[in-house]
Amino acid sequence: MSEQTETTTPEAADPMKRRSFLRAATAGAGMAALAASLKPLLEMEDPPSMERFLQKYYKEMTPEDMKKVLTRIENEVEKEYGKRPHVRDLKPMDGVQFVYCLNLTRCIGCRKCVHACVAENNQSRSPEIQYIRVLKMPHGSLDMEKADHDYTPDQVPEEGYFYMPVQCQQCENPACVKVCPVNATWQESDGITVIDYDWCIGCRYCAAACPYFARRFNFAKPSIPKDRINLDMAYLGNRPRRMGVMEKCHFCIQRTRAGRYPACLEVCPAGARKFGNVLDPESEVAKILATKRVFIQLKEELGTMPRFFYYFDV
Amino acid sequence: MTDSRLESKVSAAIVAVFALLAAGFALELFGGYRPLPENPLVDPSFLETKTWRASYADKVAAEEEVFEYDCYFCHEEKKKLELTFDDKGAWVRPEEHENIKMGHGTHGRNNNCFNCHDQENMVLLQPRDGTTIEMQDSSRLCGSCHGPTQRDWQAGIHGRTSGHWDREKGEFQRLNCVNCHDPHSPQFPGRAPAPPPNYLRKVGKQGSHQDVEEGAEQAEESEEEAESSDEAEPEMDDSEESKPEAADAEKSEPEAEKGKDE
Repeated sequence: MSEQTETTTPEAADPMKRRSFLRAATAGAGMAALAASLKPLLEMEDPPSMERFLQKYYKEMTPEDMKKVLTRIENEVEKEYGKRPHVRDLKPMDGVQFVYCLNLTRCIGCRKCVHACVAENNQSRSPEIQYIRVLKMPHGSLDMEKADHDYTPDQVPEEGYFYMPVQCQQCENPACVKVCPVNATWQESDGITVIDYDWCIGCRYCAAACPYFARRFNFAKPSIPKDRINLDMAYLGNRPRRMGVMEKCHFCIQRTRAGRYPACLEVCPAGARKFGNVLDPESEVAKILATKRVFIQLKEELGTMPRFFYYFDV
Repeated sequence: MTDSRLESKVSAAIVAVFALLAAGFALELFGGYRPLPENPLVDPSFLETKTWRASYADKVAAEEEVFEYDCYFCHEEKKKLELTFDDKGAWVRPEEHENIKMGHGTHGRNNNCFNCHDQENMVLLQPRDGTTIEMQDSSRLCGSCHGPTQRDWQAGIHGRTSGHWDREKGEFQRLNCVNCHDPHSPQFPGRAPAPPPNYLRKVGKQGSHQDVEEGAEQAEESEEEAESSDEAEPEMDDSEESKPEAADAEKSEPEAEKGKDE
């Protein structure tokens, strides 16, 4: 091609000029179009830093590695939200098995637990991510097909209905853990199934496997108002997530592994929620399991063995 | 010459494809990014951990008005209280106590002042066994009738316990009966619930969510799956023909919605 251009006679110079102009124009337009067609790549928010990209698997990290990672997360959060958080990596305690009990007689369906959870665990407000759903069902049945979770009456509780909050059941035999292709989610010795948000590839297999619809996916970049961020963070808990990773209830790991009650329990105005170490016979949950009519583990026929128990009074 | 013509045709075609793609992205023909509307933030009152009711102790701590607890501001000390009854023998509530809603027990069978209050000493309570109980120890009075509930409460089963589940790591707080229940009308009054969830699908339909049920987010996922299986269509065997058709049917739905929006 270039040879032809060089060997052209003056008579033929005009059309060749036109051609070379067209060629240059075509090439220019082509480059511009190629760049424009790659526009979606430009919209990739939050590209991974080299540190994060080269981070080791959670279980392979030495304490020094973890210290570096926690500092990195603190820096990232401070850059994004303007406040420096306190990020910890809390390990499970010996001789502790967490169990949650929920009294269906007492629950009034006020949804305060849903929003306390969102505030505590730095969940995205828009698009909205909530770990707890409160199902409204008519008395005398437990038909989740007929459950309503969009109810907005003037006042709760409504006559003739009961309310059943559903969140991650922290199964002893978790289906979500089995399907994860990269081991980004696993069960810890205290019974909490955790997710390493830096290891999750966002395939959403676990969401499909979970029979309780407990897992939530960050379809977009999470948005948390700067003035509502909770700065008490844990690596496997409530540190801010990125777009494209899975998250779910982790029994408020940043609170419960430090000995405190979860946020959903502390906000419950009806005292319907109970949490504790089931291995301690003096704990509230051990007493409930021993003395109350604990009638279901949700979908117990699936063999998932939830650590979340629903019970009735009287 | 033919070579270069072919070449320019090919390059023009490639450019045209890229240009169309670019135009498509620019005009967002393939859906593009629809900015999500901001969900309104929840009212902070729903995040408060305080109980349904402020007890006397809570009010003192919050420096609120506790005038109604000062019996002897109006009443005379050591003077036996007398009740007034109307013609039909029903008790008449004095005007000064209009703010007390009497609703203890079904059918109003426990709406008698001196079932709990001491008739002679207004700062004391009296259970049925003839003893007296200080006001701040009222849980014992409640338990004199509600035995099983008191037993549960003592075990930590009834009522909320906040603070630390691990007693070695910190303090915990167990609430009293009257922290949550109004002794004159113990059943919880109704209260407005916090707002329901805003699903992505609900947002996409701009608020028309009457038929959005449990599977809203799952439906989102199945839509994407439908699209991906659509791309794989040419490689599929005839035996799997029914699948892409179903995917097409599902895919046409969001397109119809888009048309509606425009």
